[in-house]
Amino acid sequence: MADTLRKEVDQALASLSTVLLGKTSSVRLAMTCLLAEGHLLIEDLPGMGKTTLAHALARVLGVDDKRIQFTSDMLPADITGVSIFDAAESRFRFHPGPVFTQLLLADEINRATPKTQSALLEAMEEGQVSVDGERYALPEPFFVIATQNPSSQYGTFPLPESQLDRFLMRISLGYPAPEVERQLLAGGGTRNQARQLEQQLPPERLAAAQAACAEVHASSSLIAYVQRLLQHTRDAAGFSYGVSPRGGLALLRCARCWAWLAGRDHVVPEDVQAVLGPVVGHRIRSADDLSGQEGDRLVARLLAEVDVLGH
Amino acid sequence: MKSAQISRTAVALQLVAVLLAVVPHVTWLPLWVLALLLASTGSRLMIHSGRWPFPHWLVKAVLVAAASIGLILSFNHRAGPESMVALLIVALSLKLLEVYHRRDAFVVLFVCLFVAATSFLFDESFWMALYILAVTLLILAALNSIQQGAGAGRYSTNLKTAAKLLLPAVPFMLVLFFLFPRLDPLWSVRVQGSGATTGLSDELSPGDIESLAQSSALAFRATFEHDEAPPPEQRYWRALVMSEFDGRRWTRPDPATRQRLRPEKMTAEGAVLEYSVVMEPSGRPWLVALDQPLAPAPGMALSAVRTLQLDAPLERRRQYELRSSPAYRLQPLLTAAEQRHYLQLPRGGNLQSRALARQLQQQAGGDPQALIRALMQRFNRSYVYTLEPGRLGRDSVDAFLFDTQQGYCEHFASATAFVLRSAGIPARVVTGYQGGEWNPYERYIQVRQYDAHAWVEAWLPGQGWRRLDPTAAVAPERIRMSAGDFFDTDQTRFGRAATGLDIAWLRTLSQRYDAFNFAWHRWVLNYQGEQSGLLEDWLGGSDTWRLVLAWLLPTGVVFGLVAWWQLRPRRVRHPDPLERQLQALQQALQRLGWGREPAETVSAWLTRLADEWPSMRAEMQRLAWLDEQQRYAGECSHDVRGEMLQLCRRLRQQLPRKRSV
Repeated sequence: MADTLRKEVDQALASLSTVLLGKTSSVRLAMTCLLAEGHLLIEDLPGMGKTTLAHALARVLGVDDKRIQFTSDMLPADITGVSIFDAAESRFRFHPGPVFTQLLLADEINRATPKTQSALLEAMEEGQVSVDGERYALPEPFFVIATQNPSSQYGTFPLPESQLDRFLMRISLGYPAPEVERQLLAGGGTRNQARQLEQQLPPERLAAAQAACAEVHASSSLIAYVQRLLQHTRDAAGFSYGVSPRGGLALLRCARCWAWLAGRDHVVPEDVQAVLGPVVGHRIRSADDLSGQEGDRLVARLLAEVDVLGH
Repeated sequence: MKSAQISRTAVALQLVAVLLAVVPHVTWLPLWVLALLLASTGSRLMIHSGRWPFPHWLVKAVLVAAASIGLILSFNHRAGPESMVALLIVALSLKLLEVYHRRDAFVVLFVCLFVAATSFLFDESFWMALYILAVTLLILAALNSIQQGAGAGRYSTNLKTAAKLLLPAVPFMLVLFFLFPRLDPLWSVRVQGSGATTGLSDELSPGDIESLAQSSALAFRATFEHDEAPPPEQRYWRALVMSEFDGRRWTRPDPATRQRLRPEKMTAEGAVLEYSVVMEPSGRPWLVALDQPLAPAPGMALSAVRTLQLDAPLERRRQYELRSSPAYRLQPLLTAAEQRHYLQLPRGGNLQSRALARQLQQQAGGDPQALIRALMQRFNRSYVYTLEPGRLGRDSVDAFLFDTQQGYCEHFASATAFVLRSAGIPARVVTGYQGGEWNPYERYIQVRQYDAHAWVEAWLPGQGWRRLDPTAAVAPERIRMSAGDFFDTDQTRFGRAATGLDIAWLRTLSQRYDAFNFAWHRWVLNYQGEQSGLLEDWLGGSDTWRLVLAWLLPTGVVFGLVAWWQLRPRRVRHPDPLERQLQALQQALQRLGWGREPAETVSAWLTRLADEWPSMRAEMQRLAWLDEQQRYAGECSHDVRGEMLQLCRRLRQQLPRKRSV
């Protein structure tokens, strides 16, 4: 039962990889994020395949997806929807915004104003939208893939720490490897290929996989290692602030999913290390860096300085 | 109030330390001092637990006054170590009543250290040293627990800390022991009535030595160069020479007479024995020497009759080195005055003995040696050597020679000297010790009080003073064996075993114990004798700069070690034996350049190594797998751990010693 489930997930991963050439680990991380019921932030330059990833995921899961392109003149109602007076029925009628979907691709989220950003982030956190005092629940599953341009680009409103924390993971796809790129150039547009993917992991199977992930065993030694990692971000010099307990829970949850994907029923430190960068990278900040871009360097330091066995 | 910060543990340790520090003094302390100490200890407990208030100042004033008067009355203005130590203990007791602050508690314990040290004034045996060490440990533990304030831990923790603190003191102790000059006059306080066992007295009357025969107290020990102890019949330890007789007692001549006697001349004939004596305190100014010493050791004088004398009574154990010659010629010529002196007899009394002397003289026809032989034969024929000779009347020599005919060495010596003098042969009585028991473990002779002996020296023209032991004529075994053995074998005659040590193993044990005590006295307490030579051997001289260096170097080393110990990077010893084994394996591999990265799990690391060490691949992979199972998969069975321990050990054994790959 568990094995067939994992086989299905593996197949889904395999077909995703046929679309996103050479991005196996990013795809795996995205799947991990999905299994951990968290939202994914992809930070990369335009044109690296962010949208393709979102589309492909939507196809594989067989869920409906929508895309919001964030701009600086966007208003919260453009996301959540508006209530409009219906003269025929003499009452306001709610027109749901694009957020009412199962998989939402929020493109270039940092180009919108903070007010608009927070409308989306609230929806992500609460799983519901409040408009004019009415609450409207979002569909299940609800998975947001947000992309943002590196904050060094012009016309961006960097997400504040509190809102970055809402994203379970932050990954970046990066440039493809040369031979992969040659293949890509030869094969033509990949976005159309994504459209042709078949549903391989229906929502109820995804829910089952999510439940299975939560069952993965984390021993006390492993939890101690996770705790030492967190403690180090708080104690060691060079960190302007440490990882919150929520960050710690997120790290463990992702490690469980990663372990499950690897076919194990227990978490090993390698799982934690594999997801450490994506989960923790956007939650810590170097003391001498204000741009928020030093996360990866700090993660490397964490790995080098915290002993797995606590020696 | 700060005293609230002193924990119960601290108070308990403090009070126990105070009581134990005083315990060695219990035997001589006036009872009221002990009562005061117990009372103040009790009230300290009551005050600390909050049941009693602190005493009113008036109470304290009265106590101080009463204790001062008590001290004056008890010690009667006598200044001596006892009164000073008693004062210290009284002060300690009173201070216990007013421990208001932490500082007061410290003062109590510091005084306690002094009290503990004073125990050595009265007893400096090894056991006392051990006991005082334990008390010192306790005092340090109490000090530590007070420093800890309210958070003072358990007793064992405090004691452990104290032991750790004592440890760095050991090198200092050794340096002080070897380098610190022994200041004799400062330290050798005369303690009355302690230690000095009554030994030979200055005079000899019937029954004197007999009473010593019942005492197995140690008189002295002697070691010989090259372990060449003389045979028992040559072990005559001369102590005193008595040449005046009043009809019953033999005494030494008074000082005026003594001055008229010329210092006797001695010529050694034959081999010379070198030996060292450790004399127990006797309370008398004389020392023993093997018949006959060549010269006195430093610090002592040789009297005219060639006995060793000190200026003051021997109150502390003393070690001295001597050379003696068993064969000698002593004073071949006597002046007329000297002859008179050694022929002196009381006017009347002991008439039968004088008659016997005349008779023997006629039979011998003027040959002193024939006379002596005849006398000895007489003794041998019909006299009995016994510890219980019975009481003798006024004419003790007559009574012995003609009535009882049984006696102890002093009877024989006294009678022999009397008869010789009556026959016109200069004679004198010598007391000392004869024989002694050979201790095979430390290789020395131990001489006990029951080895006390009296014999005679007779002057023969042309030959000088000759040793003459009538006891040897009566009971030759007494001279050949040690006194202890002799009395043991002769229980029927004496009715009891004088030593009580007739069981072989008990005797061995007792010899070993004595050997240990002797080593302690010789090598620890009397170390100063070796000091100067040893220092020069070690340092190649005793210049100031060498001594300063000898002080500074160990000090620097000790402080360096302590600093290193404090500042060293601490690797916490893991409580889990399996983790310790893994750590050891890691360290071993690290030395070979195959250390584990911090981010590496044991299994990842071992898997990496398994490719590099094909010979150990299977074990490494197995250990890697097991480690992951027990550490992360909740697979923590006893078997898994056991197998892992074995694998760790096996891997470590297989590792090469050096980094060669």
